[in-house]
Amino acid sequence: MSTLSVCPHLKSKAVILVPSLLALTALPVWAKHIEKHFKVGAHPIITIHNPNGVVTIKAWTKQEVMVMADPTTDAVEVEADQTNNRVDIMTHQISDTATPEDTRADFQVNVPEDAELQIHDDSGAVSIANVLGDMNVDTIAAGVGMADTAGYTTVSTVNGSFHCLRCAGHIEVRSISGNIQLDDIRSSDVQATTSTGKIVFNGQFLPNGSYRLNDYSGVIEVRFSPVDSFDLSARSLKGQVNNQANLEPTTHHSFLPRGVKSLFGALNAGGAHLELSSFNGTINILKRN
Amino acid sequence: MSKMNCSEFLNHIDEWIEGQEVPGARDHSRACSDCRGLAEDLGTIRLAAVTLPEDDPEISPRVWDALRTQLEQEGLIRTSLAHPVARSAGWFDSVFSFIPRPALATAYVGALVVGGFFLTGPVRMATDQERWLERTQRSTAELNAQLESAEKDAVASMANFSPDVTADLRKNLSIVDNDIALCEKSVQEEPESEIARDYLYSAYQQKADLLAQISEHGDESR
Repeated sequence: MSTLSVCPHLKSKAVILVPSLLALTALPVWAKHIEKHFKVGAHPIITIHNPNGVVTIKAWTKQEVMVMADPTTDAVEVEADQTNNRVDIMTHQISDTATPEDTRADFQVNVPEDAELQIHDDSGAVSIANVLGDMNVDTIAAGVGMADTAGYTTVSTVNGSFHCLRCAGHIEVRSISGNIQLDDIRSSDVQATTSTGKIVFNGQFLPNGSYRLNDYSGVIEVRFSPVDSFDLSARSLKGQVNNQANLEPTTHHSFLPRGVKSLFGALNAGGAHLELSSFNGTINILKRN
Repeated sequence: MSKMNCSEFLNHIDEWIEGQEVPGARDHSRACSDCRGLAEDLGTIRLAAVTLPEDDPEISPRVWDALRTQLEQEGLIRTSLAHPVARSAGWFDSVFSFIPRPALATAYVGALVVGGFFLTGPVRMATDQERWLERTQRSTAELNAQLESAEKDAVASMANFSPDVTADLRKNLSIVDNDIALCEKSVQEEPESEIARDYLYSAYQQKADLLAQISEHGDESR
């Protein structure tokens, strides 16, 4: 191990120089930093349209929307306007010669808990925490992360992933090749569909809840604990169904053609309706660790 | 946001399968596999009814008798149909026009089950499979034509995305095309498999949604 010794004279210069240099390097970013505040009523609607960048939304206790935006260059312009109880945030490209990286803008937005969100972000990332209102998130490549949310949530991505932690309310997710991970979910209505992505459900099965997970060729993985109760219907037309649950067979289910891998049964008292469907992917029903 | 339930969906199922815009029906159809399956089956029946060639053999009176008996047993009709109804473009509507719509949906399913029971004898199996295949191909040919046109628009709007996003979109279009191809193969192998047809139609729906998403995002990125 080696240690560096700095003479007191140099150290005092460094104390002055380093923050100045940091301030200079930070200057181009802060020169474009935008911050706006909007007073709103109950259930405000916030729309964000940002083709490229990171959008971070957090709920707070104020009845106010705060928008902080950091466009990377002058090639983009950020607009944030209020109309009654609605706040619209948009990024416009104002230079035809800009590269994709030039058009990036990052946002941090604080909203009231009961806010309704409509977010559109082609690439980058979307992160939402503690918002309890209805949400609609539409992306292409941007991954979407949510934590401690509720309300009626619809998420659509093309290849962006979706991760939801401790989410409640109605959850509807669609993707083509994005992975979908639902951890510690407390929802009574979940629908997740992807084509080649992986779906992981590791949440609670609420009585009379409905959990429908569908894919074409990806893997569907459901984690359960021995005390969970659900009625299971799992089928893979050309793939596999693997099960670790001790199911009571049910007699009433629809006719299935030859060759379809399927499984029907109830775990404990049943109640929650778990429907897993795949074209040629694998379905795994596994014990929770 | 209001959400359509099964009962409301059934009340509007006629308009929906005829291609009319019914607020909330698309979301409900996506969310409810039972209603979606029913709508697809009714769509197939409707298509078959409209496109049945004139020289098709007459459906056996036994089928109509069994259908009438079942409808009477279920209390859906009170008076017997005196004669089998002649087939025409509107035969289905004329048979069921006096039945309330929720009951109509049940009757449709009943018709499917009873009709299916009499039509799936071993002797007729090959013919029926060919018919299913022909009907599925007929309906997917129409879908393909519509999607081809939508794809042209979507590809044109890809110019508004960054090269990375465009590459992602092309890759995902290939994925849904591959899904459609696999499902088509599966339907050809088992034309009567409702599940295989479900997957095929869902794959088409997936492509339609993706093309709409591309066009919408592309226009907004301009």
